[in-house]
Order: sequence, then structure tokens, then C-alpha cells
Amino acid sequence: MRNPRTGWLLLSPTLIILLLFGFAPFLYVLFVGFNQWNVFSADDGLVFNGLDNFRRLVFDDDFLHSVGLTARFAIFAIGSEVVLGFVLAQMLTRNFPGKSLFRIIHTLPLMVAPIAVGAIWRLLVIPGFGPVPFFLDRWFDLKYQIGSYPDQALWTSVIMDVWHWTPFVTLTMLAGLSAIPKEPVEQARVDGANRFQVFWYVTLPFLRPVLLTTVFIRIMDAIRTVDEVWMLAGGGPGTRFTGIYIWRVVFPRTDYGYGSSISLITLYLTIVLCWLLFIAISGRRKGEVE
Amino acid sequence: MTISFRQRAWRLFVTYGFWIFTTIVTLLPIWWMFVVSMRSRVELFGRPNLSLSRFFVENYTNVLTDSTFQRYMTNSVVVSTSNALLVMVLALLATYALSRYKLTGRDNIFFWLITNRMAPPAAFLLPLYIMFTRTFRLGDWTLYDTQIGLILLYCVFNLPFAIWLLKGVIDGIPIELDDAAMIDGAGLWGVLRHVIVPLAAPGLAVTGILSWVFAWNEYLFAANLTSVQARTITTGLAEFVTVTGTNWGELAAMSMLTLIPSAIIVILAQRYIVMGLTFGAVKE
Amino acid sequence: MQEQETSKGKKEINGFLPFYTNAFDRVFIGVVILIGIHLLWLRFMEPALPIEAATVISLVIGYIVVRRG
Repeated sequence: MRNPRTGWLLLSPTLIILLLFGFAPFLYVLFVGFNQWNVFSADDGLVFNGLDNFRRLVFDDDFLHSVGLTARFAIFAIGSEVVLGFVLAQMLTRNFPGKSLFRIIHTLPLMVAPIAVGAIWRLLVIPGFGPVPFFLDRWFDLKYQIGSYPDQALWTSVIMDVWHWTPFVTLTMLAGLSAIPKEPVEQARVDGANRFQVFWYVTLPFLRPVLLTTVFIRIMDAIRTVDEVWMLAGGGPGTRFTGIYIWRVVFPRTDYGYGSSISLITLYLTIVLCWLLFIAISGRRKGEVE
Repeated sequence: MTISFRQRAWRLFVTYGFWIFTTIVTLLPIWWMFVVSMRSRVELFGRPNLSLSRFFVENYTNVLTDSTFQRYMTNSVVVSTSNALLVMVLALLATYALSRYKLTGRDNIFFWLITNRMAPPAAFLLPLYIMFTRTFRLGDWTLYDTQIGLILLYCVFNLPFAIWLLKGVIDGIPIELDDAAMIDGAGLWGVLRHVIVPLAAPGLAVTGILSWVFAWNEYLFAANLTSVQARTITTGLAEFVTVTGTNWGELAAMSMLTLIPSAIIVILAQRYIVMGLTFGAVKE
Repeated sequence: MQEQETSKGKKEINGFLPFYTNAFDRVFIGVVILIGIHLLWLRFMEPALPIEAATVISLVIGYIVVRRG
């Protein structure tokens, strides 16, 4: 009755589009990654140079630094988003007048285009223009200039990302929380578990798939963030994340071969990380209830 | 359980305090954008002032009466709506296939689909540019600077996401319902239309909404793969920064205008969003 | 749950890896290890031994993973 051929037929338009616009460019990048190619140079030439790009890459301090920065950015941003999102979702499971209004307001940042988010935050933090440096200087005597202090730039982009993406985490958590059956929680309460125990032993296991999927999606998107941060800081110090570093190598420097090899390694790291998470989500670990 | 009046008052106080604080933090950047959009060039510099002094709507009228802006807006609406519809249909079919048929290696397909979304965009722009300008061509017509090009391209990052969202939803629909419909003589389309679509409606709605928002908000590809005809609103936004020496007032006005359509959609569809975003948590 | 039915097919191998894998998964793990070893080799071992040594090592590891993982 269910012929696999029909299944493939249903899947085929998706696969064709993804092969054409996703996989074909990947093959091209893979090919160019092993070549020396300066796109706009006078002598038009792809020169095969084997592993030279990668040899250069593993010693490229700027690149390694950008990976470290991206990791810090992703960990801090996603960590705060998950905690905040969970707290907010927990608050939203209660009933109180005006709840849906607050929920709508809280969802708004998710809808702002990343490029506009960058613009808004730039407006907030530009020295001599935005209110943030002005009031920080006035009230706390704190010199705040994301152009000069890399740490401040990093933290600003983390906060911006938290502002932008916490609503997404809240919504998924809220969906996850409302799907949790009531009986186990009540049973645990009756058995004398305190709030923390209920959370740790009942709520969290139920929430695990949703939580991991959310983290998965956020990691994926955080690593490839470009436009927001670019708009905010223009690729200044402290915000040279891998995506932006690739951008700088490919466009102003037009070193396309090297840019491709960096992209490949970034993709490699992302896929490995996400694959591990995927294994955790799909519950294929040994020793679990079968 | 009896809760005293004082306890209840305290709980209410905490709840509202918390939410008012959250609201302020959430709205402050948007409010500031609004304030900036209501100021002329001269007023902007000087002591930062968070209050709205007057309604200076010239920024808005400038942007709105600009024919370029109108074209960008139309393009954005066309591209994101078509993309969302296309993604909904294709993702429904694909997810149904992944969920109901015993396809070889379907767990692997499921994961590798989403890797399409992981590619760092910068380096993938060049092959896409080449494809758009040279590979796909019919006479003088190429995909470059066309709406259809963007619509198809956005599928690359929207489709995997949509399939991930829908997988949980469709897995949650008991397969017995399919079988019952089939025994009653429904074909594949009958099952999809009368069983799957009605039951997966919230999930499908969220898929459509989020795809729409992602497509509406996309910038990098739109900026590099279009030139005049098919530019979208986000690229127009970025042009303010580079070309015209950053006219912050108009930039902010335009940001506000790009926010409004997606905000309206989200407000209208608020209920479905929570119902649909479960990522398979509702199994059983 | 539906996934577990399929992931219990006869092609799944219960090897030394801490989760159930099918052939495709193990080839993937092999490739991941191959790339990882090559990169680390370029960074740390290149002056001492040429890169071909890394290829040999990772092919051996890959073979073990694919057969027994």
C-alpha cells in the first residue's frame, strides 16, 4: 500500500531544489577550496594548490581567533537565551489578565529583520548619538565605545542576539511546556518533591527533545550570523566572528580560494557539533529505555 | 489550597513587575527606533533624548512616496509570500514522505536536509552568483535579478527548517487515521487533504509564518543576487547606510515600515505559533 | 515512537561507539575523523612526518570505525 517509490516522488521536489541551490554550490566551494584563486585579479586563474589553503588556515591566528570568538558568542548568547526563554515560558504558563498582550510584545523582536536589528542597535550604541553610551557615561562613569573596546563589542552583540532570539526560545519552550502531561507533575508533588526536584526529574526530561532541538537550531543560526553583527559593528574588533571573517576574506580581499577553505572548515565544525546534538535528540544512545 | 489575600497580591505584583520590566527591555530598542524615525537630521545629534518631542513624519512620507521603495516593498511581498506557500506545500509532501514511507536511510536524509541551512553564506554567494548569471539561462533570461530566483533560493534555508517543524506534527498524527481513510477509498491526495492538512493545520500555519518572516528578513542573498528589478526591502534598508551617507531618520522609518507587516501577521497568528512550535513534543 | 522502530532495523550495528549507527553514519564518522586528523596534522606534525602519514592513520581508524563501530 505504501510504495516507497511514491515516497521518493513526494520527496523529490524538495531534494531537487536543495541539490540545485544547496549541494551544487557546496561542490563548487569544495572544489575551489583546494585552489589558489584571486577572483578579480588580472590573470584569471584557478591554480590547484592542494592542501596549501588548509596549511595556511591552521596557522592563521585571525581565523582561530574568530572561531574562539564565535564559540564564546554562541555559548553566552544561547545559554542566556535558553535560561531566559525557559523562565519566560514558565511565567507564561500561568494565567493572568493581559497575558496574551505581554506575549505578543515579547514576540516582536523575532520579527525584526536581522539587518534592521543591527541598525537599531547601532543607533542605540553609536557614540555621541545613541542613548546607551551617553547614560552609561553619565550614571556609571563608564566609557562605552564598541569601536575601541573588543570586549564591549562582543558583549553588545551577545545582548543583541539575546534580545532578538529569546522570543523564539520562549515560544518553543512554551509549546514544549504546554505539551507536558499534568499527572506526573502532580504525582511528584504528592510524593513530596520540592519545586526544584519536580523541575529536574519531571519537567526537564519531558522538555529534553524540545530543548535540544531549539539549541540545535540556535547553534546553527548563531554560527552563520553575519548581517546583524556586520550592521552593528562593521566587522570591528571583538565581533570578527567566523562568518564575518569569511566575508572579509572573500570580498574586500577577494581571496576566494582561501575563503572557500575557511567556509568548508566552518561547515565541518558546525556539522559535527550539530550531528552530535542530533544523535542526542533522536535518542539513539545506548542504555536508554527501548 | 487556600492562599491568603496578601500572598495573592504579592504574586500578582511579582508577575506584573516582571512582565512590565520585560516589556520595557523588549520595547526600548524599538521605541528608540521610532523616536529616531520621528526626528529630522538636525535634531538627531546632540543630547540623546528618549522621549518623543514631536511628530515629524517627513521621514515616512519621503520613504513611502519614493517609487524605489514601493517597488522594493512589492518585491518583498511577492517573494516572501510565494516562498512561504511553496515551502508549505513542498515541506508537507516531503515530511509526509519521511514520516509514512519506509525510505532507505530516512533518518540520514532528515539530518542532511538541515545541513543546507548551516552553510556560511559569504563563500556560497559566488557559486550562486555564477549559477544565477550563467548556468540557468534561456536566451537573455537568467535567474539573476528575478523574483523567481529568490523564491527558489530561499527554499534552501526555509525548507529544511519547515520539515523539521512539521516532522513532529505529522508523526503525532496516528497512522491509523491514514489507513482508515485509505480503506474508505481515499487516494494519496484524499488522505493529505482530508486527514493530514486539517490535523496539521497549526503546524502548517507556523511553518508558513516563520518561512514568510525569514524570507522577508533575508538580506545577504537578496543584496548580492539582485540589482534593480527584484531588490527587496531589506536591501533597500542597507542602501541607506552605504549610499546616502547614512540618513538615520529615514533608515529608522524604513525599519519601522519593514517591521509592521511581519508584526501584524504574528499578532494575528499568535495562537497557532505556540500550538505549532512543538518539535514533536506532543507524541503520545 | 516511530524513529526507534526504524533505528532498530537489522542494519543497525551495536559496536563500540556509544550509540546505534548504520553504515552511512559510520562512513560519516570516518570522514569526520579523517578531516580532523589531517587538520591537526597540518598544524602540529607536519615538520616531522609528511601528510601522507595522517592519511594512512585516518584510513586505518576509518576502516575500524566502519567495520566495528
